[in-house]
Amino acid sequence: MRRIAAVALATLVVCSMNAGVAHAQPATHPGRVEVSFGSLWIGHQVLGTADANETTPTGGQLEIFTTSSELTTVFGLELRAAIRVLPSLEVEFEGSYGHPELRVAISGDSEGAAAVTAVDTVQQFTIGGGAVWYLPRIAPRLVPFVTGGIGQLRQMHQDRISLETGLYYQVGGGVKYFLFSRPSGFFNAFGVRADVRALVRTKGVAFDDGGHASPAAGVSAFVRF
Amino acid sequence: MRRWTARVIAALLLVGQPEPALAYLKFGVTIGGRQITLKWADSPVRYAVSTQGATDVSVADFQAAVGRAFTTWQAVSSSTVTYQFGGFTAALPGRDDGLSTLGFERRPELDRVLAATSFLVDRTTGALVESDIFFNTAFPWSVAQGGVAERFDLESVALHEIGHMSGLGHSALGETEAREGGGRRVLAAEAVMFPIAFAPGSLAARTLKADDIAGITDLYPEAESTSTAGSISGRVTKDGQPLFGAHVVAFNVASGASIGSFTLGSDGRFSVGSLSPGIYVLRVEPLDDAEIDSFFDTSRTVDLDFRVTFSDRAVVVPRAGDSGEIGVQVARK
Repeated sequence: MRRIAAVALATLVVCSMNAGVAHAQPATHPGRVEVSFGSLWIGHQVLGTADANETTPTGGQLEIFTTSSELTTVFGLELRAAIRVLPSLEVEFEGSYGHPELRVAISGDSEGAAAVTAVDTVQQFTIGGGAVWYLPRIAPRLVPFVTGGIGQLRQMHQDRISLETGLYYQVGGGVKYFLFSRPSGFFNAFGVRADVRALVRTKGVAFDDGGHASPAAGVSAFVRF
Repeated sequence: MRRWTARVIAALLLVGQPEPALAYLKFGVTIGGRQITLKWADSPVRYAVSTQGATDVSVADFQAAVGRAFTTWQAVSSSTVTYQFGGFTAALPGRDDGLSTLGFERRPELDRVLAATSFLVDRTTGALVESDIFFNTAFPWSVAQGGVAERFDLESVALHEIGHMSGLGHSALGETEAREGGGRRVLAAEAVMFPIAFAPGSLAARTLKADDIAGITDLYPEAESTSTAGSISGRVTKDGQPLFGAHVVAFNVASGASIGSFTLGSDGRFSVGSLSPGIYVLRVEPLDDAEIDSFFDTSRTVDLDFRVTFSDRAVVVPRAGDSGEIGVQVARK
């Protein structure tokens, strides 16, 4: 995790060091391509609780122990490529990688076993697409946007023993801060993108087929050609 | 054909005083140095109902009750075994007549045995030839749909015995407490194949549990279950040494199903099969809720001196695969 965060930070520092004068943002022409790379944070996902019960002679339940499962918060890397299709609309393709932990907290054992958190490390990959709609800028260098997307989720358990697949959906918004931009030329602009999203993951390591929402946020450096 | 019978007093003991039995999850016989799992080669398994010996249950009601129990086992969709009622017989169970017979017998000397299953095995091939079940009329029985207080539910007991008849040994998924004057009282169980019966009047053992279904599926797997079910294997150690006879329970954290097994080898290894793919936690406990010889040959020494322990690994069971080696270290009490 620390290594990923360090990479992202280093990217931002490099961007800042090269920051030139950013021109007031002109309308970006359709056909421009933007590439971004940075860090991603996804909040934890509650998977569910389950009690280990045994049946009593009257048909009731005797609880032996209880479990509570979650997919932990994850820090990861995110890569995007976008193409401007309208002056205010981009279509983007994205992929991400992170490795959260699947944690099962076990407690309340009827025979006094110590509480334990059983862990499985998961490698999570996403690949998908979405759209970015740019709003009127709120400062000369600052352009807000809203975004939404859909994609495929792949979660690989520890030791690559099993691959779970699912889908993800996300909606959110953020800002792009232009460290450099110019109205024309091959190299058009670069800056920093920050956004927050509501992320819904389905299936994968989840215990059901329903959607599970988590907050997500990303900070990345972008370059526009 | 050279034959021998192994009467396995492995069922529903109010207080465990069983005879030695090769009763793990599955029964087995050793022939020519080979361990052969005891199971029926062909389905349907035909059985007859004895017209003799019944006291407080009519023959028709008896046949109907055991028929319901057979139907319950047969309804397990992941298993291929089926059963067929072959008619009534005047013969008593336990006779080497090639006919699998269920019936009553008065056996007051077996004062803690409600019922028992015996097998007739071809000593050359290991093939199961016959299996009989007797119900002990020294105990009061009921076939009433709603049960009768102070009487044992025949359908529940039959369900357990038919599990044995099909080749299943005992499960240790149950909790008991010692009773004054000896014996144990069952507080709860999560397997019909738990060796000690619920108290008279209880109907709670008429339904198969995940552990029972996993067992019968392991013996008679339906094709689809073979292509989907996975397993967990590993090793239990104490003070760095392998532990024999520990009860290992795999708990599915999504479905809440518990399926048990044991460390059976001298190397402390265990394997839990017929598991649905998913996430499991492992709980290792001493075998202290029933008599040891309800599960193992009495010549084996089972270590009970360790604390209940969970694996710190959330165990993934892949589709049609194994978890890979899971190690669990337990500590002395």
